[in-house]
Amino acid sequence: MTTVASAQTDKPVTAWHHRHLIDVDVVSWPEIDLIMRTADEMKGILARPIRKVPALNGRRVTTLFYEASTRTRVSFETAARNLSADVVSVAPATSSVTKGESLVDTVRTLEALGAEILVMRHSVSGAPYLAAEVFGGHVLNGGDGWHAHPTQALLDLYTMRENLPGGDLRGRKVAIVGDILHSRVARSNIWSLTAAGADLWLCGPATLLRGMDRWAVAWSGGAIPGHGRFNVTSDIDAALRDADVVMGLRIQRERMQGGLLPSLREYAARFQLNAKRLSLAKPGAIVMHPGPMNEGVEIAPDVAISGCSVITDQVANGVAVRMALLYLLAGAHEAAHTEAAR
Amino acid sequence: MSAGTDGATPGSGSLKIGATVGRFELERAWLVDPASGREGPGEIVVTDGILESVVWLEGAEAAGVTDKGVVVAPGFFDLHAHFREPGFEDAETVATGSAAAAHGGFTTVALMPNTAPAVDDPGVLGRIRSAAAASGSPVGVLVYGAVSAGRAGDQLSAMGELADAGVIGYSDDGAPVKTAKLLRSALLYAGMLGLPVADHAEDSELTAGAEASEGYVASVMGLAGWPVAGEVQAVSRDLAVLVDALGDEPRARLHLTHVSTAAALDLVRRAKASGLPVTCDVTPHHLALTDEWIAGARRWAWEALGAAGVPRDPWADAALTASPYNTSLRVNPPLRNAADAAACLAALIDGTADAVVTDHAPHTVVDKEVEFGKAANGISGIETALGVLLALVDAGKLPLARAVAALTSGPAGVVAASSRTAGIAAAGPRGLTEGAPADLVVFDRSDRWQVTPESMLSKGKNSPFVGRELPGRVLVTIAAGRLAYEDPLAAGDES
Ligand SMILES: [Zn+2]
Repeated sequence: MTTVASAQTDKPVTAWHHRHLIDVDVVSWPEIDLIMRTADEMKGILARPIRKVPALNGRRVTTLFYEASTRTRVSFETAARNLSADVVSVAPATSSVTKGESLVDTVRTLEALGAEILVMRHSVSGAPYLAAEVFGGHVLNGGDGWHAHPTQALLDLYTMRENLPGGDLRGRKVAIVGDILHSRVARSNIWSLTAAGADLWLCGPATLLRGMDRWAVAWSGGAIPGHGRFNVTSDIDAALRDADVVMGLRIQRERMQGGLLPSLREYAARFQLNAKRLSLAKPGAIVMHPGPMNEGVEIAPDVAISGCSVITDQVANGVAVRMALLYLLAGAHEAAHTEAAR
Repeated sequence: MSAGTDGATPGSGSLKIGATVGRFELERAWLVDPASGREGPGEIVVTDGILESVVWLEGAEAAGVTDKGVVVAPGFFDLHAHFREPGFEDAETVATGSAAAAHGGFTTVALMPNTAPAVDDPGVLGRIRSAAAASGSPVGVLVYGAVSAGRAGDQLSAMGELADAGVIGYSDDGAPVKTAKLLRSALLYAGMLGLPVADHAEDSELTAGAEASEGYVASVMGLAGWPVAGEVQAVSRDLAVLVDALGDEPRARLHLTHVSTAAALDLVRRAKASGLPVTCDVTPHHLALTDEWIAGARRWAWEALGAAGVPRDPWADAALTASPYNTSLRVNPPLRNAADAAACLAALIDGTADAVVTDHAPHTVVDKEVEFGKAANGISGIETALGVLLALVDAGKLPLARAVAALTSGPAGVVAASSRTAGIAAAGPRGLTEGAPADLVVFDRSDRWQVTPESMLSKGKNSPFVGRELPGRVLVTIAAGRLAYEDPLAAGDES
């Protein structure tokens, strides 16, 4: 990987070399740029009257969701269908995984049934690496435990670039606020946004930041090739002040039972993204949320639907970015280039 | 093998496991004898199972013999292993565990009682002894009794009956002794019986749901953290309760097993300095591996330690070479960082840690080929312990004699410290003693071996070293005068 300083002046890459996409940690900046450019093309397709191309005609995409998430699953399946792929959905409630079949056996079965790209959501960190070890096709991570949610981070990045003048994150202040400890969205965003050169701030109650400061300290010297440093704070005002982008994360009720938060009321009083707090951010700052939102808890309802909110853009861009990733993983990109070269 | 052998002996390939060694001679080897504190060039002769002669070579005769070649040491003693029988024979049996132990150079093992049923009455102990006898292996099998009935942490096990039946101490390992109150009773009652309580020190509330040691690596990988405080809190509790118990029962003794953090080892160091009757051990994996292996790094702990004792960053070093979340690295206590590993080594060298134990914890593929957070805890480690310690020796971090002592006189000393077990053979000096039944291991430091599912004799293939080479090939293990292990190549290449 190259350094941030040189990354964004690197020659654009045109080839995709990753068999799987499990996290953005191993994806170089030029490769991220390729994903963004491919997503641009996909967005063009989505703007047409008929939002369907034959790129993945006859290719088989299987979604395997061990954790219910209708919005994410539908986003992946819409992306796959827009590319004319055949889509099979497997969810624990309707399959043998509830009977205790192992992940490895399930993946082998799905491969035997013809799965070529496996989109996977799992509650245990690292589960897609296990799937990738036994799967002959491509694994696309749809979120694993607290670890990673690469398609979300990439659609977040895409949305930020689309909404920031010049489409450049370098030096732009991005504040992510909420339950950082349990958030795969935050972890993947750390990799992609520090690669993009953003001034990243992670903010939440101290109980929901546990361990993150050790990560920030480890990176504070700028020793990680291709990635800058980032900040961790419980000071919401410091996080929001002059921010260009503010992202809220979902606060779950279980956190109270776990003794990590006194109450949702208290969280809202101290950390909710509301109009008053957002006035600290730069004029024109955008507000994001990966969904699903708890309006009135981590985000005020009026903020969620205000002009500065790009939350619905995130949903639309999610389809385009996922189309781009399915297209790249399937090798359709290489095939198109080989065709063009003839 | 490179050393001379003769007759119906190891080296000829004609001797069966368990048979008395008729004659075994080894010329110009490096002898390590922790009992006398001596090491150097020498020769041994075993006749009819007895270590007939031990000759130390000097002058011209010793020329060219170094500690980098064939080494003879007393048979190793593992104070902490899980052979899974009865109850989990798919993972290991007393027979397969004994074979694996001998492959690792061990001639005596102490088994933890977390079988099903647990060793909480003499009946279960009898079953384990029968299995050991039936195995044909000469490896000596000692057994801990459970502290609590069913290891449930409520009532005391049949401690007195277990003592009469010959357990060497009590432990609820797999879990800590559940409450301070139960531990106090156990220390008093075990002290009365002249036996120690061996605790797995963990504050289960602080570690509930934990997947990896809390810290940088766990944070990046999204793994729930097992905080250092979870061990420090438990060790503090145990030491406080020990002090309390000693007021009523001066024979109360505490052993802390697989201590893994610098802070907890400091507590033990101070407790020992103040004269408390406490002993402790560390494992090869906590000495040599770190949590960065879970992220995919494959360098030794001492290579992961930066300037000023701060762990290096595997991402900054581009040191991640293997697939992450390998479940053979899921172990309890978890792999720590390089600073804690260095503290384990320092504790071993300064004597705070009395012994190295394997915590050999074999598991089936069914329990390990799953998501990291669902995988069973444990490393199949009894065959790799010597290789890991020799890696430390090769790196200049640990003297060979100290490594051998940690596997021989160290654990023997722990057993010798309790009045009831002070007289048993396992508590003996574990030296190269002429006239005694031969109990020794011969290994070649100039050779290496490939750890593979096939080369491991344990049923548990859950070793982080699978696919890697370790230094030091065990050539022959003789336990109580009988052949326990013989390297297949050494057996064949005599002709
Ligand atoms: Zn234990």
